[in-house]
Amino acid sequence: MIRPSPISTVLSVVLGVLALTFPFLPLGDQAAFMLQIANFTVITAVLSLSWDILARTGQLSLAHAAFYGIGAYSYTILMAHAAPWWLAVLLSGLIAGLLSLILGAVTLRLQGMYFAIATLAFTEVIKTVIQNLPDTFAGGATGMLVPALFGGQPNLQYYAAVVLLALTLLVSIWVRNSKLHYAFTAIRQGEQVAKVLGVSASRYKLLAFFISSVLAGFAGVLYASKTFFIIPAETFSLSVSVSSLTTAIFGGLYTTLGPVIGSVVLTVLEELLRLKIPNGYLVVYGVMLVLTILYLPRGIMGLLERKKA
Amino acid sequence: MKKTAMLILLALMSSASAVKVGALIPLSGASSVSGQAEKNGLLLAVDEINKNGGVLGEPLELIIEDDQSNPAKAVPAFTKLVTVDKVDFMVGGLGSSTTLAITGAAKQYNTFMAWAGAASPLVEDAMKDYPYFFHYHPWAYYNFEAILSFFKNLKGNKKAKNIAIAYEDGPFGSSGIQDTVAAFKKAGFNVVLTEAFKAGSGNFAPIINKAKTQKVDIFYWIGYDVDALPLVQQMKESNLDVGLVYGAPPSWPIGFEKNKLSQGVASLTMWTPELPSTASKNFVKAYKAKYGNITDEYFAPLAYLNLKTLAEAINKAGSTNKDKVADVMAKTTFDTPLGKLAFTPSQKIKYQGFKGSNWVTFQFRDEKRLPVFPLKVAKKTVLYPMP
Repeated sequence: MIRPSPISTVLSVVLGVLALTFPFLPLGDQAAFMLQIANFTVITAVLSLSWDILARTGQLSLAHAAFYGIGAYSYTILMAHAAPWWLAVLLSGLIAGLLSLILGAVTLRLQGMYFAIATLAFTEVIKTVIQNLPDTFAGGATGMLVPALFGGQPNLQYYAAVVLLALTLLVSIWVRNSKLHYAFTAIRQGEQVAKVLGVSASRYKLLAFFISSVLAGFAGVLYASKTFFIIPAETFSLSVSVSSLTTAIFGGLYTTLGPVIGSVVLTVLEELLRLKIPNGYLVVYGVMLVLTILYLPRGIMGLLERKKA
Repeated sequence: MKKTAMLILLALMSSASAVKVGALIPLSGASSVSGQAEKNGLLLAVDEINKNGGVLGEPLELIIEDDQSNPAKAVPAFTKLVTVDKVDFMVGGLGSSTTLAITGAAKQYNTFMAWAGAASPLVEDAMKDYPYFFHYHPWAYYNFEAILSFFKNLKGNKKAKNIAIAYEDGPFGSSGIQDTVAAFKKAGFNVVLTEAFKAGSGNFAPIINKAKTQKVDIFYWIGYDVDALPLVQQMKESNLDVGLVYGAPPSWPIGFEKNKLSQGVASLTMWTPELPSTASKNFVKAYKAKYGNITDEYFAPLAYLNLKTLAEAINKAGSTNKDKVADVMAKTTFDTPLGKLAFTPSQKIKYQGFKGSNWVTFQFRDEKRLPVFPLKVAKKTVLYPMP
């Protein structure tokens, strides 16, 4: 079992307590707005961490928007057909996972940028399919209204996202502490060598893809329920995939805490900058991101580990 | 020192009692050209409202948030306006997807929405029973009625019968495309081509080549401003002979009218600076005085009258009580740069402002947008076939 560093433990406790008590913090007038931001931050953290689980096998996926969108659309369509909410949620994650198995079986033999391009193309294909389904079934290009989970009650929606994040963290810790970690790392560091050592690269990569996509699908359900509306152009947007990998890289790749910290810092930073510099915040945000990647190639977790050393 | 403290105190007191209005508009992203026009219109309205005594005797305070043309960004921006800034009323709005995204939050916070934009009937569905939703922009079915009416006129007067349709494959271009084709056919037109394209790709060669094999009277194009110039340029290069190019983008590229290729292209707008009404002339004068030039984007006067009519209604109601303001809005007829505004029921909502009769077809002619239809506002007859 890999023991977390004291810094990671302290950070985990702080973030955990903060996440659990957030709706009760005395934020006064800011409370509802901050809860929205916290909710989107938690959903981003789930997506980012789920992306990282696949990245641990060395695969750079740009299909996360697709699984996120499939989760969102499956939930909305099932709810529109009077499915109970719990079944709609459960099936949405599973449908995303099943599609990842189909995609993975075809594309996971590809490496590096070829795999990235294939996953990007898959996202476009799914977007086009959704757009061309009958409007009465999936809303077409115009999009669909989404029935809110828990009657749109903000606290409950937030805690649903926190539960999903906790589940994702447990999965990530399990992966890190099981033999999967060694298999994933071996594949990432040299697939041919891993094969020689008896690691079935295709099986492990497919498993990582499945886990990652199920979690992304659940994140999509919560996102859809929070925005009350989904539309192919936005839900399957490349920016969703890019955001999940940016936050993971910023926080620290191949770690459990890194993507979560990356999501918290980048989402909060973006919102704060937007409030303070409404006309130029994206420039400042972009510059900060570039500088971080240049000078902290292992992300914030890399910095913390170095400090510790 | 004492005087400064007094001034600060007065400013604080004034700010505390001012009526706060929030505006959610796209200052960045796909709809930013119209969004920037909207911002200019709103700021001009604030100046005039406050110069004329403000609202309920206090200056009106306008707080603008950028929805980034993105539904996921619109939700927290809206929540911030309503819960942190504690605005009394909301104005603005442009895209249907961003508006749809905030409909849930609006109902949750019981927000008064004097909403300038959004044309999708999905928004109409979402807000059908909501008592504080005053919608200014015509719904998409009103827009199409106006286009069809112009095309019927061309059919009657110019024998234009064959329509080729090129539409972008995103939500804006493709929503309801089958209904559009069916409506053209029902009105006696031949739809000789219906082709999708990817917005921003700049490649219209396949569509133009197909169009060359047909006799096309009207080339109907639904897309974004980025495609306007590549389309007309490639049509010219390919010597595609059509009677009229009719575009339906949400906004045109800045300076499009200065390009010779724009000559004769037609489109729809709710307003042009040439409209003869006094309210429109006053708006043009005030806009030029503030910004040094005039815009052709109808979202500028639409946002201007959006805020002006709300302020007028609050003053008439004598209170910020939502029910009282809604009551006044529902009963009042406003004189605006876009014509008379009165809120009457649409297919699904109770308070719909502008409808099909407010649309004007214009043609780019000699570096201007000249109204050519309906005939009562036309400055010139339509140039058909276009050069």
